[in-house]
Amino acid sequence: MTQVLLGLFSGIAFGFIVQRIGATDPDKMARAHLMVEPQIPQFMMLAVAFSALGLAGLQAVGVGRTVILPTSLAATGIAAVIFGIGWGLCGYCPGTCWAAAGEGRLDALFALLGGLAGTALFAHFHEGIIAAIYLPTNQGPLTLADWVGNRFAAAVLLAAVFGASAWAVGKIWGRHSGHGSEEAE
Amino acid sequence: MDHMPTHQNEHRREATFYWPVLPAALALAGVIVFIFATFGPPASSSGFVSLLKGLLGPIFPDYIAHKEHYRIIPGPGSWLFAFVLGMATGGYLGGLTLGKPLRKVPALWERRFGARPGLRYAACFLGGFLILFGARLAGGCTLGLFISGSTQLAVSGLYFGIVIFAVAMLTSRLVYGSQKGDKK
Repeated sequence: MTQVLLGLFSGIAFGFIVQRIGATDPDKMARAHLMVEPQIPQFMMLAVAFSALGLAGLQAVGVGRTVILPTSLAATGIAAVIFGIGWGLCGYCPGTCWAAAGEGRLDALFALLGGLAGTALFAHFHEGIIAAIYLPTNQGPLTLADWVGNRFAAAVLLAAVFGASAWAVGKIWGRHSGHGSEEAE
Repeated sequence: MDHMPTHQNEHRREATFYWPVLPAALALAGVIVFIFATFGPPASSSGFVSLLKGLLGPIFPDYIAHKEHYRIIPGPGSWLFAFVLGMATGGYLGGLTLGKPLRKVPALWERRFGARPGLRYAACFLGGFLILFGARLAGGCTLGLFISGSTQLAVSGLYFGIVIFAVAMLTSRLVYGSQKGDKK
């Protein structure tokens, strides 16, 4: 029961914040993908940068639980291509479509229903698909810490790269639009 | 830029609706770190599996019990389903207090395909189908793999994130056409 209440509370806070940055608005998401408005990608990159530092802090005091998903060259890549086509087409992702449906967007409800259908189809063929494309190219749960050697240094490095990327997105996206540039400068 | 004053004004009005990037990103990171501390890596596409498990379980109990994908994800009485219900509630509260009227069909979509809601709903159903099929294959979505994974320094999250952004950007060019008209 505690877990359900924690999930509910976390979801409410998460949904409210992504609504407030405009990530539930498919027009704003499309303008982000079309390199006209930099805010949503910047928001995501900075959130990851701060979260990585925060999580490194949690781990330093021994709090929290982590799960590193494996990298399957074929499955993760093919999945990302399928996901990207869907995201570009409708402007929703699996989390924002719940928040957008709650906001009252009827098209998000259709994305949610389509999502249930996609989930059901994948679940039906899970065993065959995983064996055919996930497992043969599975590289295991790789992390940057494996390459950098030190977990905390890797978190700082990741945060720096994401911070720099957010700045670059502001510059590049801003250049493509009259109204973006005044905020980027 | 003086030949497009309405666009400028519209943008200024938009800016008052939404939070600035930096405080919003800090707030979201606070929530994400809270989730890591109290639950584990945040995820939203798993909530779809939980919901389906709850919907199909009573009708096809044997099927649900024998399918690996439903075995590895808990049912609707879990953090995962509570989280997506919370997302819907948070979106509702956000919309209630934002005060910006919703469009039935997004403006960019309408400019390209007209105002028929049916076509937009069909495209959203297909888009939703693809994002969930992809997310379940990869083991996570924008949140459960890209954000959660990258926060944990996982290569899978970074790889997934780079490809979904690149493909979504290409797809949106094909769907909406070039935005050259807006650039001048």
